[in-house]
Amino acid sequence: MDHHRPRSLSVLVALLLALGACVMLLPLAWMLLTSLKTFPEILRNPAPWLPGQPQWHNYRTVWEGFAYYRFFLNSAFVAAMVIAGTVLTCCPAAYAFAYYDVRHKELLFGALLSTLMLPAQVTVIPLFKAFAALHWVNTYLPLVVPAWLGGNIFGIFLLRQFFRTVPKSFIEAARLDGASEWTILWRLVVPMSLPAVLTVVIFTFLWSWNDLFNPLVYLHDESTYTLPVGLLYFIARADQLAGGSAGQVPWHLVMTLATVMVLPVIALFVIVQRRFVEGVAATGVKG
Amino acid sequence: MNSRRPETLWFWLFAGPALAGFALFSLWPMLESLWLSFCQYDVVAPARFIGLRNYVYLLTSDPAFWPSVKVTLVFTAVQMPLSVAAALGVALLLNQPGRGRGFWRAVYFLPSILPQAASVAVFVYIFQADGGLLNRLLALGGVTGPAWTSSPVWALPVLIAISLWGFGYPMVIFLGGLQTVPRELYEAAHIDGAGAWARFRHITLPLISPVLFFNVVMGVIGALKVFDLAYAFGAAQGLIPGGPARATLFYGLNLYQQAFTYFHMGLASAMAWILFAVILLLTWLNFRLGRRWVHYGD
Amino acid sequence: MLTRHRELLLWLVIGLLAAAGFWWAGRSRAPAAEEGRKVITWIVFISPLRDLYEQQIAEFERQHPDITVRIIWVPQSEYHMKFKTLAAAGQTPDMFYSGDVWLSYLMPFMADLSPLVKRDAGEIGLDDYFPEIRAAMQHAGRYYVVPEAVNISLLYYNRRLFRAAGLAEPSPEWTWDDLVRAGQKLTRPATAGDPGVWGCSRMEGWWGEWLTYIRQAGGTVFSPDGRRCVLDSPEAITGLRFYLEKSSKYHISAPGGHEPLNGFVNGRVAMLVVGHVNFWLNYNQVPDLDWDVQLLPAGPHSRTGGEVAIAGYSLSRTCRHPEATWALMKFMTRPEVIRHVVARGGVAVRRSIAEAEMRDPRGRSHPQNLAAVYGQLRYSLPIPRHPNFIEIMLQVVQPEVDRMILGELSPEETGRRAAGAVNAYLATFAPPAP
Repeated sequence: MDHHRPRSLSVLVALLLALGACVMLLPLAWMLLTSLKTFPEILRNPAPWLPGQPQWHNYRTVWEGFAYYRFFLNSAFVAAMVIAGTVLTCCPAAYAFAYYDVRHKELLFGALLSTLMLPAQVTVIPLFKAFAALHWVNTYLPLVVPAWLGGNIFGIFLLRQFFRTVPKSFIEAARLDGASEWTILWRLVVPMSLPAVLTVVIFTFLWSWNDLFNPLVYLHDESTYTLPVGLLYFIARADQLAGGSAGQVPWHLVMTLATVMVLPVIALFVIVQRRFVEGVAATGVKG
Repeated sequence: MNSRRPETLWFWLFAGPALAGFALFSLWPMLESLWLSFCQYDVVAPARFIGLRNYVYLLTSDPAFWPSVKVTLVFTAVQMPLSVAAALGVALLLNQPGRGRGFWRAVYFLPSILPQAASVAVFVYIFQADGGLLNRLLALGGVTGPAWTSSPVWALPVLIAISLWGFGYPMVIFLGGLQTVPRELYEAAHIDGAGAWARFRHITLPLISPVLFFNVVMGVIGALKVFDLAYAFGAAQGLIPGGPARATLFYGLNLYQQAFTYFHMGLASAMAWILFAVILLLTWLNFRLGRRWVHYGD
Repeated sequence: MLTRHRELLLWLVIGLLAAAGFWWAGRSRAPAAEEGRKVITWIVFISPLRDLYEQQIAEFERQHPDITVRIIWVPQSEYHMKFKTLAAAGQTPDMFYSGDVWLSYLMPFMADLSPLVKRDAGEIGLDDYFPEIRAAMQHAGRYYVVPEAVNISLLYYNRRLFRAAGLAEPSPEWTWDDLVRAGQKLTRPATAGDPGVWGCSRMEGWWGEWLTYIRQAGGTVFSPDGRRCVLDSPEAITGLRFYLEKSSKYHISAPGGHEPLNGFVNGRVAMLVVGHVNFWLNYNQVPDLDWDVQLLPAGPHSRTGGEVAIAGYSLSRTCRHPEATWALMKFMTRPEVIRHVVARGGVAVRRSIAEAEMRDPRGRSHPQNLAAVYGQLRYSLPIPRHPNFIEIMLQVVQPEVDRMILGELSPEETGRRAAGAVNAYLATFAPPAP
């Protein structure tokens, strides 16, 4: 009797998991289906379950017709700058905190880590005041510059943990060979810690790509919007886009935009799923 | 060998940008925000010191403050346990040996990394009263669904449901914790005749208590800081953010509106510091209670 | 292994890319000022008039080759936020959309137009504006806005439902009592297969309707010096009570929270008090909606109380090209543009255009009673002028009114609580002494 249980149990587990997975994926499926419908189909109540004829040109409509490529490129640009700044400044910082022995090092590191608890709402007002005074509002600098000054504290933390696993003897040997600290960092430690660096890159990308709060505060010109702000802005002016039929949001196009927005994230996830999962698990185990 | 001095120099060269960033983008704004919380400041006229008036107004007169506290606390009290329970439940299922675990894990984790502006837009469409997917599915079962998103009663439960979609984060953390539990313990317990619940209660739960605790604390802090979810919910319906009738006026959204819609920057700073104090308190509790359990496995 | 100079080269490339990135990130989004070319920025919210504006601006730029106009489009719900954010960043737009609701709010940013208006009074046809409109253009005797459109509160009614109930259409002599009597005859309870009809709508979540009743009952929001809220006065409470009793006593309106969505359009509501002229276009797109307007019914104190809210253009105090911007303002408010606005279903701010329209309604479908539209002007008041009026109304007072129509507060309690909350607000956010 006892060895029948695992079998029926595992069938039950698989069934439960499959059922739950359907619920998890249903919204995404509905998003994709809706994005392929026509406006008359959306206005019909109820809308048909499946698009009569998949309207792939909806993607072209939002991309070109509503200059959505611009929001996409803006998002991509900001993400690229933020990732570059994070890698270029977090790696050295993590290296410094991992290997150098300086007075008050632990105190400084503790101070850095403590900012993980600091809600963005506490700092945003003085920062807005300062960036406004610098005439940085309506530019990408408020989104980008903090990343170039070690903005991703979690990244520093994760990298430091990983750098520490690089044997000290390797580093000593490189120093004896006359390698500079800069060279040791980028040519020895970083290549040996690529999984951690990749994890940091992924999380930085997600954080930047999904960020709604900062673009909302700092970007005020239609041409500068990133995807999240662009999507909400699109819905806000939907009345007008729908050709005067007030209150009728062109949901097929909204869903098209949403699909364009989540697609890069899904693609990245499919490619480097392990890094995501390990990175999150690291926050729990080490945090 | 390197003497001490170059090492100090390299340290500051390498860690300098990050420390400068800390000073410029965290420490200084934090202190200035504290100062502003005692001021009247509307971004156009210079800040004017008004003592504790902002705090007094918030706690005694502000018609939005306590409603936003209530929305946030209700959300936290309902969403956090549900999210942690769902995450733990699915993690336990995924931790059972079987084929395709990586695939299922991916499916459950995926929604938690999607941009909230997009997922909220999708859900607002799904929850539409007329012709929304949910009400159509309910209608198949003969149930007439309410106007979910425009009803003051249902709007908050809808937001809780939307946020539950993203339980992948705590789930993966639970999985990490569950994988550290030695299998032999279960086998021994099995031989001793312990049932599934007893094994969960006496082996799994104590051993994953650090991650459980971590998830609870992070869940609470995350719920207290909700912004994207609530803002996108209003914006996707063309509502005044926080609507209908303040049912979704989260603390973070209220703060944002006081600061960037009504330009009561001093008042908003006071709100920020109240939030910060609460989070510090929770962190301190986390540290105090967590110290006993969490072991750092380097 | 990379050779040393290759490595240097690599870092150089990274550095150059980063520099280019920072240049792009920090690039000002405003067009560069060229020698002899004036750049005017204009912030306006997205509306169905967008294409009209874009045509006009193109025409203006054609006539003034030395001027470039840069339009900043923002969603209406974020208008004041975007505006102040730009102002805080030192980028106050040269010309901005303004009017009654915004007049007090944006006053600190507005240039006094009086010298320009007086200088060009003949050219802009100052006398052609209705006197009530001229009053709304001013604050403390100075001009701040040149209007393009106006909203006037009116009584809207569904003629088909009036015919079906065998009722005469509303007359200009109507009072609140007539509204109630007709409303009761028009109301038809819902039955199986029939959603029913409510005699009169009730606008929820907005001050428009209840403020009208308060003013028609002789009340108001602020004391004359603007330092105190007087919503607890007996007159104000009379107005609030009528707003409540439309459902609780007379049963001509749906109970609080049950107002049918788009009820007037769907024929589920027979009358609409206050309304907004921006909806005319939508009403006229509905095939079987036969509607018209009448003067607002008079309250116990007077008929006066509905709002006259102009929308138009203001000039920034910090504008670098005031003459060029003034030329643009005149261009955007010239009779030809006003005629376009009216043709799309708006109300004329100029008497000559209104009269021409009344003489020749160009086969317009609705509203037909243009005499009521322009007659109502005489009984209309501008919105109370407090810089934070919108916020006070929506954030401080409205929640109490919401609770009243849900049956949680009496009109007396509502007035008292609202006045108390507004006075606490005023004590905390009193504008600094000038």
